[in-house]
Amino acid sequence: MANNNPPRNAKSAAAKPSSNRGAFYGILVAIVIVGIAAILYLKASPPSADSGASAQAAYAALQRDYAKAGPPRPYVMGDSTAPVVIEEFADFECPVCGSYATVTEPDVRRMIIDTHLAYYKYYDFPLPMHHNTQSASNAAACAADQGKFWEMHDQLFAGQDAWGLNPDGATQVTDNPKSVFMGYAKAIGLNTSDFEQCYDSKKEQARVNANAAEGFRRNVNQTPTFFINGKMFAGSIPYDVMKKAVDDAAAAKKSAPAAAPATTPAGTSAVNPAAKPAAPK
Amino acid sequence: MRRMLIAALALIGVFVALYLTLYKMGVIGHLACGLGGCERVNTSKWAIFAGAPVAAWGVAFYTTTFVVALIGTSPSWIDRREIAYVLAGMSFVGVAFTAWLTYLELFVIEAICKYCVTSAVIVTAIFIVSIADVAMGNRLQSGE
Repeated sequence: MANNNPPRNAKSAAAKPSSNRGAFYGILVAIVIVGIAAILYLKASPPSADSGASAQAAYAALQRDYAKAGPPRPYVMGDSTAPVVIEEFADFECPVCGSYATVTEPDVRRMIIDTHLAYYKYYDFPLPMHHNTQSASNAAACAADQGKFWEMHDQLFAGQDAWGLNPDGATQVTDNPKSVFMGYAKAIGLNTSDFEQCYDSKKEQARVNANAAEGFRRNVNQTPTFFINGKMFAGSIPYDVMKKAVDDAAAAKKSAPAAAPATTPAGTSAVNPAAKPAAPK
Repeated sequence: MRRMLIAALALIGVFVALYLTLYKMGVIGHLACGLGGCERVNTSKWAIFAGAPVAAWGVAFYTTTFVVALIGTSPSWIDRREIAYVLAGMSFVGVAFTAWLTYLELFVIEAICKYCVTSAVIVTAIFIVSIADVAMGNRLQSGE
């Protein structure tokens, strides 16, 4: 605009637009490249803290990157030399897990675990639609830090109505489950200041993630899901079914004592806890 | 030059709207949002308009604007004033729609999405440049 009034002859008029056009197309290409790069970069960046959909985001991220999670550290109960291993993948906020934990599991503990028939392992598998379940797993992991995982586990499942889903199955009873969990921590005799410090810092989040990642490795897609010496049972199962599966697994092991428990035909580790690589980092 | 600017702005708008659309479609698990309530806005009931995500409407709008502006820069169309009117009309609709969305963000959803603000800035800039395009065209014509 503020040039030296160049003569408007045909030559300069023709030359300028073509150089303009070259720069214009260059800019458009640059915008496309930057646009694609920006979307890929934003896709890879970590989710913002405590957004409404953070549970969903955490689940999606874990589902995508489960191979990168460290080895699982499940919570265990019973005799580790028992012939059968029961593994449970559960979500503290899932109502079916709650009814299993409060109705069936006491019998399982009394008649299967305490009698040395099986060793029990619990893995977190927090589902994306349950907004407080990550916090519950966090609370349980922090209780485990003080050696009281199972006490917290029982409190969480028995108290689902106080911090979990509303009867509509979609919304949560509270946006602030921490106050409820602090009450549980006190009730089971935890050092509440240590518990709170652990809970707030989410220092056990890696453990929760690693446990959930193990579920993805084994194709768990609902809760609860059980593995009894490696055999998958998706969904809640009544005591009788579990007892029979434990007895069958024990009998199978007895008849083939040299074989590794629950060797899968493909030899994959997908459903065989015994064949897990030690530390797939 | 003005239409080139409009095309460039519209192309940026395409990517902003595309990012939000991919989130809405579940391709992107979360929105990278340092502050504000991106997910709150984009999971609200107002994030759907006439059966399609608002962000998808944004992609359609910016893509159309980009194509029209690009055509308007070609030698055979550069002097055609219809292009200026179409761009001004389209961007007016875009600004009005964005104003309504911004009202919803501020006063109904009470959360701000920075990508939506970015889009609002882009569409406003397109509108201003397209008005300038119309005005310059009028001036040139009256000068002839």
